[in-house]
Amino acid sequence: MTDAAARTNERNQIFRDLFSGKTPKRVPISNPATQDFAIQHAGLDLAECQWDLTKLEPVYDKFCQDFYTDTYPGGSIRIPSHYQILGSTPIVMSSSGFMQHPDVVGMLAEEYDQFIASPYDCIVETILPRLYTGFNGEPGKVAMTLAKAMRAQSDDLAYLGAIRGKMNAKYGFATMIGALTEAPFDFMADFLRSFKGISGDVRRYPDKVAAACEAVLPLMIKKGTLPNPSMLGYTFIPLHMAPYLRDKDFATLYWPTFKKLVETLASMGQNVQLFVEQDWMRYLDYLYELPENTIMRFEYGDAKVIKEKLGKKHIISGLYPVTLLQTGTKQQCVDKAKELLDILAPGGRYWWQADKSIIHLEASGPVVENLKAVLDYVHENGTY
Amino acid sequence: MIDLQLLTQAVGDLDENTILTMINDFVATNPSGEDAQKVVFACQQGMAIVGELFEKNEYYVGDLIFAGELLSKTIDLLKPVLSSVATQKFGSIVIGTVAGDLHDIGKNIFGSMAEAAGFDVYDLGIDVSPSAFVEKVKEVKPQIVGMSGVLTLAIDSMKNTVDALNEAGLRDSVKIIIGGNPVNEDACKQIGADAFTTNAAEGLKTCQGWVK
Amino acid sequence: MDSKYYVTWEEYLAEHPELEGKPQQAIAPKIEKYEDAMFTFIMDLLL
Repeated sequence: MTDAAARTNERNQIFRDLFSGKTPKRVPISNPATQDFAIQHAGLDLAECQWDLTKLEPVYDKFCQDFYTDTYPGGSIRIPSHYQILGSTPIVMSSSGFMQHPDVVGMLAEEYDQFIASPYDCIVETILPRLYTGFNGEPGKVAMTLAKAMRAQSDDLAYLGAIRGKMNAKYGFATMIGALTEAPFDFMADFLRSFKGISGDVRRYPDKVAAACEAVLPLMIKKGTLPNPSMLGYTFIPLHMAPYLRDKDFATLYWPTFKKLVETLASMGQNVQLFVEQDWMRYLDYLYELPENTIMRFEYGDAKVIKEKLGKKHIISGLYPVTLLQTGTKQQCVDKAKELLDILAPGGRYWWQADKSIIHLEASGPVVENLKAVLDYVHENGTY
Repeated sequence: MIDLQLLTQAVGDLDENTILTMINDFVATNPSGEDAQKVVFACQQGMAIVGELFEKNEYYVGDLIFAGELLSKTIDLLKPVLSSVATQKFGSIVIGTVAGDLHDIGKNIFGSMAEAAGFDVYDLGIDVSPSAFVEKVKEVKPQIVGMSGVLTLAIDSMKNTVDALNEAGLRDSVKIIIGGNPVNEDACKQIGADAFTTNAAEGLKTCQGWVK
Repeated sequence: MDSKYYVTWEEYLAEHPELEGKPQQAIAPKIEKYEDAMFTFIMDLLL
């Protein structure tokens, strides 16, 4: 067995232990920097590299070489080609070369009944043509546009997958698979009703919002299902709208279908990782109710309180503030990592990740050195 | 005559049906511009209640967005009867999401609340270059510039925008407030802004303090 | 999932009598794979 293969085995065992509630031999680490960061770190043009993926292999090689991580640092990525072919409005590349999501309305308030009757029909017939210009026009053209887009995405994903395979073989990362889905309420908000739209809907037609969440739940379960639940990996669910809701709207509109989603996935034998965005401190008692060993990566909150309330049942992650890497000294950055280790590692169930992804790199700034120092520190000192 | 106290309370409660019924009935009486001004003022007081409830954690951001929407609906209904008098403005603000960033939810909440509070708001939209900020400041001479962003790269863009205002000799003519997920005191200093906020209601208070 | 844009293998088979007597154990996974690939593609456009 090569050294890299042995490292993969060791890391896979660490994550298997972690996900099943056993205390692993050390605290695993995922580099919070992304492909966008890696391209800038290599000194290349962000937009060009996202179109010409052949440029990415040396980018990833340098990225993996320079920053310690136990998992492959190329998480969920939006590649521009198929969005461009489809005439996307909800996902576009900004002037800086980052793929971003402006607030859009894919579904009108008067279309709730249509959506509730058949969510997938409504998505195909009404919502996609509103958000993606390529879904409009002559049927033949639409069919060809869709075919081109799917082929482009399939090629891009295959290419990125090949790079990932090479890096795993060279650096011995844990080999994890993932599926992406959303809480039904967040799905209704993000691309369908918009932040503004859903904020009015929860007051104007709460019954319809609740019915739409129920109607779309089977799609969200299907979308979050792994090819095989016994494989090492997890369903990733980024959580969005809950902190912006009143407690009673959360309790009646957000929580019920979200809880069913996580419970269903867990009952299929899958791990679930929540990205708990923004401030969920007032909802910790709800989160406690989720199935044992749900992975919760927090963006915000008091680490002590989170550990105390959730740390014996669930797997805690996140909370490391990436803005500190921009503004702090190396010592301050390392001290913060130590502080979180001291609070979160005892007793197990801790995975080192940061509070958010790092996508932007200011060449003259301290982020590269600070990030390296923190990752190395946790690698060397990450005992439970 | 419309019950202004009741209207203020309805705005505070975000009771859409009551507000719209009252405003529609009021407009139907063909009121004077002065009376319409009083109605606008009552609505603004209602918004102050919304802000207080937000600070007390009874309302959340979703409620602020809904409040902003209700207010702009109300102002639209009142416009025909308001046009006979010059509307009193507290000051003017140029806002935008800075270069490289397309996130506008926070900016829009702040913009609609500032408008409801009586500011003239010039919204430059998203992915706004430093030069676009400079041009608009030259044109409308606002008291305040508000820069918004969600990505960490927004910090650099905000700094570039302040630098551009400096170079154009405009920095001292305006107060600058920055808002959004990545801003904090350190970032504020580094950028050279006058204030920062992650909370639209608080940001509005800061701006109101500046133009008093 | 009740939709005219998502067809299960059983539904597909009922609509395609020409597959009678063909190696269905080899055909079914293929048809299902692309049905699911389209579903994932479509849903990813809204995530």
